[in-house]
Amino acid sequence: MPRYIAGRLLGLVCILLAICFFTFAIFFWLSPDPALAVCGKTCTPLRISEIRQALGLGQPFVTQFWDYVRGIFAGRDYGSGADLVHCSAPCLGYSFQSSQNVWQMITQRLPVTVTVAAGAAVLWLLIGIIAGVISGVREGTWWDRAAMFVTLGGASIPSYVLALVLQFVLVVKLQWLPFPGNVGFLPDPGLWFESYLMPWIVLALGYACLYARLTRSNVIDTMSENFMRTARAKGLPPGLILRRHALRPALTPVVTIFGMDFAGLLGGALIVETVFGLNGLGQLTEQAIASNDQPVIMGVTLLAAAFTVIGNLVVDILYTYLDPRVRITAS
Amino acid sequence: MSGLLEVDNLKVTIGGQDVVRDSSFAVDAGDTLGIVGESGSGKSMTALAVMGLLPRGARASGSVRFDGQELLGRTDRQLRALRGDAVSMIFQDPLSSLNPYYTVGLQIEETYLAHRGGKRAVARRLAVDALAEVGIPEPQERRRHFPHQFSGGQRQRIMIAMALICGPKLLIADEPTTALDVTVQAQVLKLLARLQAETGTGLLFISHDLAVISQIAHRVVVMRDGEQVEYATTEEAFCAPKHPYTRALLEAIPRIDEVS
Repeated sequence: MPRYIAGRLLGLVCILLAICFFTFAIFFWLSPDPALAVCGKTCTPLRISEIRQALGLGQPFVTQFWDYVRGIFAGRDYGSGADLVHCSAPCLGYSFQSSQNVWQMITQRLPVTVTVAAGAAVLWLLIGIIAGVISGVREGTWWDRAAMFVTLGGASIPSYVLALVLQFVLVVKLQWLPFPGNVGFLPDPGLWFESYLMPWIVLALGYACLYARLTRSNVIDTMSENFMRTARAKGLPPGLILRRHALRPALTPVVTIFGMDFAGLLGGALIVETVFGLNGLGQLTEQAIASNDQPVIMGVTLLAAAFTVIGNLVVDILYTYLDPRVRITAS
Repeated sequence: MSGLLEVDNLKVTIGGQDVVRDSSFAVDAGDTLGIVGESGSGKSMTALAVMGLLPRGARASGSVRFDGQELLGRTDRQLRALRGDAVSMIFQDPLSSLNPYYTVGLQIEETYLAHRGGKRAVARRLAVDALAEVGIPEPQERRRHFPHQFSGGQRQRIMIAMALICGPKLLIADEPTTALDVTVQAQVLKLLARLQAETGTGLLFISHDLAVISQIAHRVVVMRDGEQVEYATTEEAFCAPKHPYTRALLEAIPRIDEVS
């Protein structure tokens, strides 16, 4: 097992380097001159060449890429003399537009994104799995039909529409909730909960609907397995049959999907964060794209990729515990 | 005849279609009744009707008496108390019939615990004994293993151990050797015959294989398209079949001296 994990980690580093290379290449060849974006309105050719010098934009591609990768592990300096800016490891670049270290910009906003993603995940797992299991067990009943109808609708509503409708109804009309804002957990956990409730609901709805449908079909498949017939032939009580024999095989695949979905969301819930004005990675990405702040886009992309591949690894390792048929053979 | 299981005029209908018509037979304690027929002849439906495990939408009528008591029309709760305890069943494909997520030890123990309750440790000891009884080597170790870690023959032995853990009066075996190699098949049949001789369990043995039936059954029911065409002792059925279909089945067996 340790050997397997070490091998996977090595592979993970390679994948991240490849992603790093491709994103870097895309920005190098396809995007407008970053010096122009930094320069602003009062731009002179002299100023541009200074900026190019400071950012090392005159260097060949390989040199620039090497500097970037080295910066991640060892940190680097931008500019020289009085303009010198040090960016310590892990240096994902420096945003000259906002005069901030990209790594710091990300770590400042990560807690908000984690809060949004984690709260929504709890909500959608609870609702999705419970609704899915009931529907699967009572396949074809009015409950099942109603739940599947609702989930189909829920999965089809665009989240920005739902966000605006909820905001209008719950905040403006009924005044049950405050406008969502960037509220810390302390000093008022109640207010914190109320401000995050709408983002959670909006983000969770689509996933909950998909998970309900997924869980339902897994439960139905499992119910028709031969080992379920054996369990009934053994005279086990229905509750035990469901809990022990049906749910474990039915829910194990849900873990895989959840790992991917959750890891993906840690890269930022772009729409929900932007609509509710939450100061997370999604909003950072949106702003960076709008102002062509390349170091930030690069950094966020890399981070999202890292979350995804790490999430994959965690799911794979977890699976060996959940499904006894999956055993790791170090190859 | 003091029948352990007496089936009279059993009829099973699925969606308006009769899959079993007018089947009548009896199994005594220590007795083996073979039900033979092609696939789709209604053999398995007969067995499932006895267990009360017919698929959704299927209806059984007639009479199924076990130990003198009528089973048809009983609630699922009442039948549950019988299943796995007084009446057990083993199935054709032991790999898919065992839950891949749990150790074989747990799957044997839970049957015992569901019917007898008591301490886990007691159930565990009985499970180890049962595994030893059906010929699984090192049962103390092997009970912690999962179904996929056993061979096909061993899996069916585990199913048998599970079915016999509560000491049933009747064991229903639905094509228990069909998925196995011929040599393994013979070993499992031998095991069933030995256990039956030791415990005096009645055995309802379903197979499409006449050779297997002739080895293990005392009496035979031959089924065709849901119809019971022959009910006789094994000797009569094989040596002096009354129904032309039974004769046709026997003649369909390829014989080595006829192959040119």
